[in-house]
Amino acid sequence: MGTRWGHKCWWAVADLAIIVYALVPVLWIVSLSFKPLDSINDGRFIPAEFTWSNYQQVFRVASFVSALRNSIGIALISTGLSVVIGTLAAYAIARLSFPGKKLLIGGTLLIAMFPQISLVTPLFDIERKVGLVDTWPGLILPYITFSLPLAIYTLSAFFREIPWELEKAAQMDGATPFQAFRSVIVPLAAPGVFTTAILVFIFCWNDFLFAVSLTSTEASQTTTVAIAQFTGSSEFTEPTGSISAAAVLLTIPIILFVVFFQRRIVTGLTAGAVKG
Amino acid sequence: MTVAMRLGGVAAPRRARGHVSERARSEHRLAALLCTPAVLVILAVTGYPICYAIYLSLERFDLRFPDQRGFVGLGNYGEVLRSGYWWQALTVTAIITVVSVAIELVVGLALALAMHRAVVGRGLVRTVVLIPYGIVTVVASYGWQYAWTPGKGYLAALLPESVAPLTDRVATIALIILAEVWKTTPFMALLLLAGLALVPEDLLQAAALDGAGPWRRLTKVILPLMKPVILAALLFRTLDAFRIFDIIYILNQGSNGTASVSMLGYDNLFVGFNLGIGSAISVLIFFIVTIIALVFVKLFGAAAPGAEARKRR
Amino acid sequence: MAGAYGWRRVTTAVVGVVLAAATLVGCGSGAAGSVVLAFDTGTEGVDQYQVAAAECSKASRGRYMIEQRSQPNRNTDDQRLLLARRLAAHDPKLDIMELDVIWTAEFAKAGWILPYPVAWARQVERGTLRAPLETGTYQGRLYAAPLSTNPQLLWYRKDLVPKPPQTWDEMIQMADGLAKRGLPHYIEVQGARYEGLTVWFNTLLASGGGSIASENGDVQVARGDAARQALSVMARVAHSRAADPSLSLSNENNARLAMQAGSAAFEVNYPFVYASMHEDGGGAFVDALGRPTGQDTGRRVGDVFGWAPYPSIVAGQPARVTIGGVNIGVSATSRHPAEAFEAVQCLRNRDNQLRNAVGVERPPTLAALYGDPAFQKKYPAWREIRDSLDSASVRPKTPAYNNISIVISNLLNPPAKINSSTVVGQLADQIAKAVKSQGLVP
Repeated sequence: MGTRWGHKCWWAVADLAIIVYALVPVLWIVSLSFKPLDSINDGRFIPAEFTWSNYQQVFRVASFVSALRNSIGIALISTGLSVVIGTLAAYAIARLSFPGKKLLIGGTLLIAMFPQISLVTPLFDIERKVGLVDTWPGLILPYITFSLPLAIYTLSAFFREIPWELEKAAQMDGATPFQAFRSVIVPLAAPGVFTTAILVFIFCWNDFLFAVSLTSTEASQTTTVAIAQFTGSSEFTEPTGSISAAAVLLTIPIILFVVFFQRRIVTGLTAGAVKG
Repeated sequence: MTVAMRLGGVAAPRRARGHVSERARSEHRLAALLCTPAVLVILAVTGYPICYAIYLSLERFDLRFPDQRGFVGLGNYGEVLRSGYWWQALTVTAIITVVSVAIELVVGLALALAMHRAVVGRGLVRTVVLIPYGIVTVVASYGWQYAWTPGKGYLAALLPESVAPLTDRVATIALIILAEVWKTTPFMALLLLAGLALVPEDLLQAAALDGAGPWRRLTKVILPLMKPVILAALLFRTLDAFRIFDIIYILNQGSNGTASVSMLGYDNLFVGFNLGIGSAISVLIFFIVTIIALVFVKLFGAAAPGAEARKRR
Repeated sequence: MAGAYGWRRVTTAVVGVVLAAATLVGCGSGAAGSVVLAFDTGTEGVDQYQVAAAECSKASRGRYMIEQRSQPNRNTDDQRLLLARRLAAHDPKLDIMELDVIWTAEFAKAGWILPYPVAWARQVERGTLRAPLETGTYQGRLYAAPLSTNPQLLWYRKDLVPKPPQTWDEMIQMADGLAKRGLPHYIEVQGARYEGLTVWFNTLLASGGGSIASENGDVQVARGDAARQALSVMARVAHSRAADPSLSLSNENNARLAMQAGSAAFEVNYPFVYASMHEDGGGAFVDALGRPTGQDTGRRVGDVFGWAPYPSIVAGQPARVTIGGVNIGVSATSRHPAEAFEAVQCLRNRDNQLRNAVGVERPPTLAALYGDPAFQKKYPAWREIRDSLDSASVRPKTPAYNNISIVISNLLNPPAKINSSTVVGQLADQIAKAVKSQGLVP
């Protein structure tokens, strides 16, 4: 019994180490966001006094409020479109045999590896000519493209696990391939689609390079860029409190996803890599 | 529990090969229909721009000198390859990539083994490690920047007085690597954890019965079986680390010679407004990434297709 | 575990939210009656700009409405980037823009800003100081109307130095003497790797009769002995006891704070430091000898804070101070350029320049204002400011100025490593490439 307890104790220590590793840097930002202006530079991990003023301050910054709207809207639309387009392609890849399948897989794979900076220069020039710089579609388009491989791979990994017999049975009952897809696969695929949507949303929510390159005003600037442009009361004062409060706000959706959908996210993240 | 996990043991049925029938043709039609949107988007937003980038890279094209626009052949590439800034950025990027991916592999493996064998708090641990993966990179980078700022940060407070790590080149690169490792090790660990699940338990027991200690079991049984997963994880993490941008941009704007190739490309586009040079840098980065991928696939036999791609930025 | 129906609900909800968000896109507001002119400015002095916009709108009697806007940005570099990106993308929502004095050539050459029509240019020239006007001119045409200007002066401690130094050599000597006596002795100057370092070099170079490059991109830095002379002053400051240990990281603000803390004897900086000193309560206490102390001696740095003309290179010849400041330009994408040019005249009129000068420490560009009692009260150093503008120099007016400045601040930082005999050649080589915008920007 003693060794079992010792064993468990060691696991508890290991768990604790992992939790400290993952949470301390996050809690540090939370701590900063609650520090009042006069003690924000005190270097303490736990604030000596708490204040909500940084949060109130952030919501008074017009550029942050509009950026929040832009971020949510752009990420949701990109996620929706990417998942819809990805679902169609992933179904074809997982279920159908057709010429050019390898090419499609290879092509999406290429994009997954693509250094985004390689696209920023030409995209900026193209978008400035067609008037897409600093608009929602100007960001949604690259987001869809860059999240498509993620969507296609995760989804096709999920789709491969869906019982093929059921679809076949439906087709035997006289359903066309499309009807079989809709009535049998869609309900079974929904969890995978939802998981993929979370992953794609996190990707879009996270992006900085496209946002900082292709937006310039409140019309489309997203939160990651808005934070980086926060100003203090003068050019020389660092707006630590506001940045930290905004940073915490950006982290909330991520924490919610992680807490409520942990298993799904882990499955989605690893599905493609292992089952290859 | 997901569908995928519930049916994890069932192998995906293979499509029976037969004569090309009416059904097969309708299947092709459906496949074409289903894939068209994805293909169109990919071609429009990736295929065309990369071709356009190659074209731009052959032009003198500075937005501030519109009248000088013209074809210069490989001149821009010459400029880039002759520039000390390019080689410096490439070296910095290579160091960050190699060191951080190596650390991630080792720490990630340890983390994966711990999570695989964990008796207590499994769910909790898996939940918290997802936070570094999911957190916005810009947010995490600000956290690190403040933590290392003397007089403000809890980490700087642990250092001797008057040491400002973010003003020193070597220290800054180390901190960039630290921030990168912190953020991406959990992802590496989760990939490896999924690979560990593929190692049959009875094989490990048999090895233990043969007198193999934990280290031998790891190196002789577990790692060889996990090779494909490890290679896939390494490939994607390497390519991902190579395009590092957000962390450096927030941490110190790439000052002191700590800019990555992505930052150099960005600066030449938006500080220099030189689309020709910027495109040449873009194409070179693309070229290097392709070479890295080819090396992984050809030399190490990393199984690329079907493997998982992950992006954070 | 959610059943298939549960998942369908979730999916439906997600789709619903996406569609709802999509319908929210692009809800622009329609403009009312008169012409709306956007006035894009930096984040400093917004209050003053808003008053100016309101008054000028009123003065137009409903013909146009000026809407002041400012995009948050961290510094002038970011402001340039955001503005230039919008101009490059042909943003039609740009009309009137606050421009830094160093952007004129770049924006003009790129075709992003319009030249002032001759009649308007004449009106801008009337009563405006020469040097600020020069910053707004490119290839003989006025592209940006001067709004405010900013010359550096020498700020020093009257208790430590009875008579301010006339030249850099004299100042280094004085600092050395103070150091020997164990008194505050630092010379605070902008030595960090940024635009401020280029300004220091340009001032010393111009004061010795040199120039970095001509408007046509002719590199002149290696001509004559001025560059070597300027660099040797910079190196000597860095090596002497006058150097603040953090010289290689020092900007305008560090310099100001070091002076307020009582550790410096000299400071070259813009006029804002005077108001800042007194807004911050006058800085540290100093003892009878002039050393900073924590005890209340009844005397603060602010009480012994003096000013003098910027030290020169050659005794008897005034220094040629590099000026900063902002101008106003009209976007090439504007739909109402005629109204915009007209509005600029009002935005930079006497009242508005005075408001900027008093409110945000931005010295005016209209000569007459230097005689205004309200201005003189706010700027006790008004005479020195006015005089230094007469001999002021401007930074190279080439479209690739930004590249040149990067090259210079890269090569000359840290100042202690400047080798005044070899670095001139490197400067000439690299500036020759930068001026044509060849090569890479680091």
